[in-house]
Parts: sequence; structure tokens; C-alpha cells
Amino acid sequence: MGLSSFSSLLIALSTLQGPGTRLTYRIRVIEPAAVAPRILASGRVSGPIDSDMRLTLRTDTAEVEALFQVTPVGDTVSLAGEFFARRNVGRSRRGLPLWEEDTYRRLVRLTWSDTARIYPFGVGKGGAEFGTKAPRGLWVELILEREFAGGEARAAEALELADSTQDVRLEAVVRPRRARVILNLVRGDTVSAPRPMDLVTGEPPRVVQLVLRGRATTLVVSLSRPDPPRSARERVIALDADVVCLSVAPADTRQPLGTVCGRLNNVARQLALPSGDTLAATFSWPGWR
Amino acid sequence: MTGPGAGADAGHEQWLVQIDAELDGELSLVERAALAKHLATCARCAGARASQLEVRVALARSAGNPHAFVVPRPSIRAGTLTLWVVIALAAGLVAGWAANRRWGGPGAGTTLEESRGTIVVQ
Repeated sequence: MGLSSFSSLLIALSTLQGPGTRLTYRIRVIEPAAVAPRILASGRVSGPIDSDMRLTLRTDTAEVEALFQVTPVGDTVSLAGEFFARRNVGRSRRGLPLWEEDTYRRLVRLTWSDTARIYPFGVGKGGAEFGTKAPRGLWVELILEREFAGGEARAAEALELADSTQDVRLEAVVRPRRARVILNLVRGDTVSAPRPMDLVTGEPPRVVQLVLRGRATTLVVSLSRPDPPRSARERVIALDADVVCLSVAPADTRQPLGTVCGRLNNVARQLALPSGDTLAATFSWPGWR
Repeated sequence: MTGPGAGADAGHEQWLVQIDAELDGELSLVERAALAKHLATCARCAGARASQLEVRVALARSAGNPHAFVVPRPSIRAGTLTLWVVIALAAGLVAGWAANRRWGGPGAGTTLEESRGTIVVQ
């Protein structure tokens, strides 16, 4: 291994920083005005270093949803934006609105604490020479910051709207590595004792035993990520980021009984078992370590 | 004999000729419309037309044609129809081309790349 490869590896490893590094996206939504630009909204999203930010901007004639992801590379950072845009292009012969949908990706490299200016609705004629051309509509200023935050890994988001007529949304997108799953067996009005488990996606299946009316049922469960969404919008802005799937199989055979998928939102999902019982699986975020 | 009603009589003669031509299906749409307008205000001509019609129906029925009371409509010639269709299509094409030049089609006005979001590092 050459010296440069080795130092690159060290730099890459140092940027991972473990759970102690906290990433913050700080944004301001700015509207051009005759005298001075006006700040419509400001906010911040922070979380673990692999946190993404989902930004939604809507006007009467256009909607832009974007998912921003960062990849630290030494003292610089790669900012990738996956855009899903809908533009109103008129009306049909029957008077219904016609929209065109567009998905694309943008990637820039910047240093930490640099300001990236995002023109979500594009720029005017002149393409990249917008320094001399007026941009079309508002723009978003984005500053990326990292800090060492001990064990604090919880995602946080804050948004202040200066103009309540503006439709601006800001969300932290964190893909769970672990999930807390609470399993119950249900039959009629009888429910087994809850069996909470901390499961990691992709780890080997685990055996769990649930007792209902004195009868034990042994199941093999494993956690996985769902299949990629079929719709372009869901795929681009990662609407399924916090969805996990629980595969359930009987203990004596690996033939699966079924799969239950859901968000980590404390809502019970049900799976009918051949024995006549119903397995209720509740997904939630695991406790913070 | 010439009297005050001579001019009116001459006019009625012309209308009677028109009624005859209408019942033969020889009037154009414009002429039929003019005749209908006149019949609405001239009881004499309307009566003459009714009499003509009754006579024609009686003659036709006696000849074994029970549907003779249907007044034949003027036929539109294929050449005329084709000409108007071509004119209408050409006018539509020219109007569409002019509108596209002026306002563009759906989503036009800027190129796709100009309407897409951009990230600039400052």
C-alpha cells in the first residue's frame, strides 16, 4: 500500500469520527426583493454524521423536494442533492392542471462552514452565469457544520417561518441501524406478555418464544430493509428511510410465515399465523445509548 | 292592369318561384334561410307553399310514394366540402404554429436545465 493510499485511508477513517461527531445543516430561505433580499425561513437539522436533510418548497406553480446527503472527505465535504420537482405547465382541455415531474441529482464539493447557495427553481437564462443574471425565484443558503458532541446522537430539527404563507418544510432523515421491536401474540381478547427486542438490520435471525394461554410459540425473526420503492418520488427523497421489515419464520423450518413492514412510529402491525394466533409487531426507535 | 299592388305581386311571383325551387331541393342554404324568413312574415306565400306541398304530396301518394312530403335538402357537393375541410385544417395549423412561436408548448419558455435546481458554492 502506497503512502498516499494509506494517508487517504487514515483521512477517511478519521472523518467517520464515530458517534461523537454531530452534523448540522443550517439553512436560510431567501427571496429576492427590489431593495434587499428577504429571509422567508431559517432552520437547522442536526444529527449523527450520516443524517440527511429533506427540504420541501412549494409555490403555486412548482414543488421541489430535495434530499441532501453529505460525505466527509478530509477537510472537505461532498454535498449531494437528490431533487424531485413538479412544475405546473398549464391545463388540460378539460381544465385540469397539468404537471411535469423531474428527478435529477446535483453534487458539489465544499469545505466545512462554506455557504452553498441552492436555487431550487433553477436560474434564469444564462445558465451558470447567474452571477450576472437574476435567479428565478427564491434561493436557499446552506451551511454545513460538524462538531464533537459526545454521545448525543439524537436527530433534531428546527424551522422558523418568517412568512407563514410560505410552504417550507425541513426534516431530518436518519436511517435506523437498530430498531426496537415489541412482539405480542394475540388471539381473541387474550394477549401474550410483550416481548421487546433490539434488532439490527441485516444481522442473523433470532429466536423468540411467546407464550399465550400457556402454549409456547417459537418464532425466528430477522430485521431487514424494505425493497426499494417503486415511485420515483419515494425513491429520490427516501420516504421509506425509517421503514424496517420483520421477517417471521417458524422455528422448525426456514420457510417464512410472512414479513411485516412499518415505520418506527409505535404502531402495531399484524401478521396472521397458521396456528390461528396473530403476531403483533410494534416498531419504534431504540433507546439512545 | 297596373295598380299599387303590382310591385308586391311581382315580388310574390319571385317568392313563388323560390318556393317551387325549394320544394324541388334546388335552393342553397342561404336562399332557404331567406325564404324561411319571408314565409314567417308573409301569410300569402306561406299559404301558397302549403298548397304546393299538399298538391305534391297528393300526386306522390297517388303515384305510390308515401314519403313524398319530405322536402329534399340541398346536397353539399364533395368538392366544396373538401375545400372547406382543407381550409379549416390549414387555418388550424397556421394558428397552432403561430401560438407555439408566441407562447411555446407546455413547459416551454426555458430549457429543462434552466428550470432545474442548482447548487453553487460561495
